[in-house]
Amino acid sequence: MTSPDIAATIREELARIAPEVDLDAVDPRADLQEACDIDSKDFLNLIAALHRRLDIDIPETDYPELATLDRAEFYLRTRLAAGFPGKASPG
Amino acid sequence: MRASPAARKLAAEIGIEVAGLTGSGPRGAILRADVEAAHRPASRTEATPAQPKGAGFEPMRAAIAAAISRSKREIPHYYLAHGIDVAAARDRLTEVTASRPPEQRLLLGALFIKATALGIRRFPEFNGFFAEGSFRPSPALHAGVAVTIRGGGLVAPAIHDTADLDLDTLMARMRDLVARVRAGRFRGSEIADPTIAVSRLGERGVETLFGVIYPPQVAIVGFGKAIDRPRVSEGRVVPRPTVTLAADHRASDGHRGVLFLAEVDRLLQRPVAL
Repeated sequence: MTSPDIAATIREELARIAPEVDLDAVDPRADLQEACDIDSKDFLNLIAALHRRLDIDIPETDYPELATLDRAEFYLRTRLAAGFPGKASPG
Repeated sequence: MRASPAARKLAAEIGIEVAGLTGSGPRGAILRADVEAAHRPASRTEATPAQPKGAGFEPMRAAIAAAISRSKREIPHYYLAHGIDVAAARDRLTEVTASRPPEQRLLLGALFIKATALGIRRFPEFNGFFAEGSFRPSPALHAGVAVTIRGGGLVAPAIHDTADLDLDTLMARMRDLVARVRAGRFRGSEIADPTIAVSRLGERGVETLFGVIYPPQVAIVGFGKAIDRPRVSEGRVVPRPTVTLAADHRASDGHRGVLFLAEVDRLLQRPVAL
């Protein structure tokens, strides 16, 4: 998967959670939870969706790496390239 | 029956069935405007301003206004706040959740709600309804979990039989509820069922939440933000959110509220048992 796909996937899943937010107007370096007004349950739903769609393991300790749109895209791209498939996690 | 989420949401709020309406959307789908049209009194015409300019009373706001006005008019609230050490609960979460895929992870909020529900069992005067001049404790315990609706408004649909759910099931219900409410998909019955309310408004930043009871319920428990306070516990600075209780003084006294919050605290110190 190329990086534009990752960016699009993040946006698609965010749009599901916060449909009224204009993602093009969100500063990619702003705190995602604040900018999109999402709480920890929304964020967990987002992580679960990204995990499912990209098949990347996203440990809880890495949540800060997904704090902004830019960082999330970078993290997921790096993670995918490094080969941390979601199936590596138990359960 | 095809109906947009916004239409279903509005219909649930004002208590009408979408099934009985005529849809004007694609393939006959019922839109929000169709629900609005059905709800509008027949005598009102476009030329008649329904509200003074600026009042802007959407049905959701009107419903909240009616319930909260009644609450503030009729319910003699009392308020209590208590700081809880959540280090043990957090450690437990990390231990349980670290190796799990996201779908199976838990949030601190699930532990808060479970501890509240278990605590209530010994304090039935906070669980039930005050109606027609007297308090009736509820044999069932359905926590209403406050969820903000995107674009404005708030509802607290029930998580049924809260105390009987294991944490995984409770967490799954919470996630489902949040996802549905945000999209405006919830049932009117879910709003009517709660026997006590729980709010985690604090998660987004406030330390202490002074709840407003949703009548005819008699109590609302609020959890504030977990702030790292300079409180030394075995050499560590520990997060210590404040749990608050707003309760109906007609149904209970402050002394019982103090004991109830202490019970919630005690339960959170033994998260393995939740």
